[in-house]
Amino acid sequence: MAKVHVSAVISAPIDRAWATIRNFDGLPGWLPVVRESRMEGGKLADQVGAIRALRMHDGGLVRETLLALSDLEHSLTYDIFEAPMAVVGYHATIQLRPVTDGDQTFFTWAAEFATDPPEAEAETVAFVTGVFRDGVASLKRQFGGR
Amino acid sequence: MLLTRVKVYVSKVIDAPVAGVWALLRDFNGLPDFHPFFTVSEIEGGLRADTVGCVRAFRNTAGDLIRERLLTLCDLARQQTYCILEVENLPVHDYVAGFRLHPVTEGDATFAEWWAQFDCAPADEAELRPRIASVFQTAFDQAQARLGGTT
Repeated sequence: MAKVHVSAVISAPIDRAWATIRNFDGLPGWLPVVRESRMEGGKLADQVGAIRALRMHDGGLVRETLLALSDLEHSLTYDIFEAPMAVVGYHATIQLRPVTDGDQTFFTWAAEFATDPPEAEAETVAFVTGVFRDGVASLKRQFGGR
Repeated sequence: MLLTRVKVYVSKVIDAPVAGVWALLRDFNGLPDFHPFFTVSEIEGGLRADTVGCVRAFRNTAGDLIRERLLTLCDLARQQTYCILEVENLPVHDYVAGFRLHPVTEGDATFAEWWAQFDCAPADEAELRPRIASVFQTAFDQAQARLGGTT
């Protein structure tokens, strides 16, 4: 099982950062690799079990299920069940924690997955890490960061 | 008497890699080594400080005795939890607390969080909250002062 973990400090109060992260249909607003997002079947973006269809800038389609959403823990968990990437059993969680000394937000994004074929693991880990890091850099541009 | 359940939470970004911060904070018998509120500490019964279940008996600068039991020590999550068994001049009940250190991968820093949960008389809450928060805040400020860069 491969793991990817990226974390950063964002210069915004947690409520502002969470308003952006919480929107399961909002990735085009902050994740550079994503061009379009659409909720399938008319479901709302905060309905657990809802599916988002993401169209990437390279034309690839990724479909993901919202598995958990917590306004208490400021966390969001999803899986990928269809993608051009060779991932199997992919699930990931974004969680925000308040930085009380400075009114900022600590952001973590962690994913676990296997790859098919197994030899694709290193390349896939590098790709996913790059996507996450680009997302963090984008959030820092929007909100500021250290 | 009706008690109220209180949660205190303090967090800070420390400008040092997580391994160094963990090395400073991990020692359950080490509070007086870096925390200015505390003077002496010993582990009871000749146990080592990394033995889960061990009890530390330590004193603050006012001379008050505090006895706490180590409940969790996790080198993977860099986490420690403990409870108060006995304390002088702190009107709390069922006090459980802990801290956890997270690596900040984008910047090689540490996100540190320290929490406590306890019961107290409603009239004591306003005084206890900042008093306990300042203990945790001071621990993290000391870590920053010792390990952090120029900031």
